[in-house]
Amino acid sequence: MQTGRYFAIWVLSVLCSQGATLSGPVIPPMTENQKQGVLFIDSLSVPSPGEVFVAMNKACRPNWATLVTSSSAPVTTERSQLALAVGVLAANGYIAVEAQDGQQVKNVGREMMQVAKSLGISESLMGRGNSLMQFADNNDWEALAEELEATENEVKATMVGQKDKELIALTSAAAWLRGLDVATSVVLASPTLEGASVIEQPALARRLSLRLGDLPGRVKQGDRVVLMRDSLNQIALLLEESGKDPSPEKRRDKIQKIHDLSASMVVSIMASANVSPTPLMQPSPKPALSGMSQITAAPTNTSTHSSPSKP
Amino acid sequence: MGILPIMMPIPTLHASGSGTVESTVNQPLKEEVSQESRNAAPPVPTESRRLALETASAFENEGFRLRDGEWYNSLSKGQAAFLQVTLFAGNRYWFVAASAENSEKMRIVVYDASGKPLHGDSWQDNGAHPGSRTALGVAPAVSGMYFLAVELLDAPASFPVDTCLVYAYK
Repeated sequence: MQTGRYFAIWVLSVLCSQGATLSGPVIPPMTENQKQGVLFIDSLSVPSPGEVFVAMNKACRPNWATLVTSSSAPVTTERSQLALAVGVLAANGYIAVEAQDGQQVKNVGREMMQVAKSLGISESLMGRGNSLMQFADNNDWEALAEELEATENEVKATMVGQKDKELIALTSAAAWLRGLDVATSVVLASPTLEGASVIEQPALARRLSLRLGDLPGRVKQGDRVVLMRDSLNQIALLLEESGKDPSPEKRRDKIQKIHDLSASMVVSIMASANVSPTPLMQPSPKPALSGMSQITAAPTNTSTHSSPSKP
Repeated sequence: MGILPIMMPIPTLHASGSGTVESTVNQPLKEEVSQESRNAAPPVPTESRRLALETASAFENEGFRLRDGEWYNSLSKGQAAFLQVTLFAGNRYWFVAASAENSEKMRIVVYDASGKPLHGDSWQDNGAHPGSRTALGVAPAVSGMYFLAVELLDAPASFPVDTCLVYAYK
């Protein structure tokens, strides 16, 4: 550990003394062959909600405290829904970190553990849960942000171990969608749509949708997964149009639709088993300029959760 | 400290438009899944990963958040590997690649969606420490899809070399 610290200091010293040098030789553009060989890996190719929120902070300084929502893990035995819920909860954790709301981070941590229990993977995550609580108690926000991503990734890793590899794509897509839900709230609250460029990522939305299309039949045909894919397709199209639209009114209208789609999907993900998936494009309240929390409020579930075994 | 703040801001970079994604969208799933599995599984405590994380800790000390993920490659001399990433305007990024082998020359390049390389701050270790390390800092002017490349420019050994890449953002 000591060596690591000395090395870090050494790296900084070298950067300071030599300066960072611009690469010497001219680098040619990518060839078509190279573009064909580009990989997409879940853990790095999908931005974490924290990464999106850091960019939002620079674009428009959101009032995160008004965006914190308390949502309970869904009571369900459907593993694909639980995988989606992990993503939503992780994103909620990042919102709580940005709001520096330690209690809410703890609540999210507990809910994530609950979902992990429902997935039958709680034991390997106990350490993570304890770390989240400890960091929250110490108001260590940077460590919390990293720990949230680590927790989400550990859930994914355990899914791989349990032959549930396909569920990873659902967790990543849900985390991004919940981030989009919140980020669109923030953008719509700005009269000049500040931060819109941060959310306009049609390529990512399309890619996530394609990955859901590649899931095995039984997972792909689940109601929520079908809804999720439809939402992502519609969102990709709207994001593409929104980025090109010079008219602020039309752009706002498109971002509103994106918000409605993502918020509706998040509600559906967090709904308990006896609640059928929310239809797409359900009318949702117009965003207020403040107090966004009511827009994305997920249905409240009972506080007692069943712990179904793997179906 | 305050070294990076002196060095930063990284020169503003220019990316041209949002480009197209079709080239990466239709990748064979087989390759994707195998990479997925490697990265989703608990990280194998390789020496290249340890060196990459050790180097990246310099940036963590300066307020950068490290992504909890790594990208492993086995590269031969002259070979490059490419990864799609989404970067955000306003954020600053440091990508760090490392290998346990000594005296290797690696290069990290970030290309915009159209395939043009971005300029950034690059750093290469001087061989004073065991292993080989390189880093690239960029601050994209446009949010969107980018391609990350790790290339093994030169290596004393003729066999493929394991490399690990991590990244941090702020």
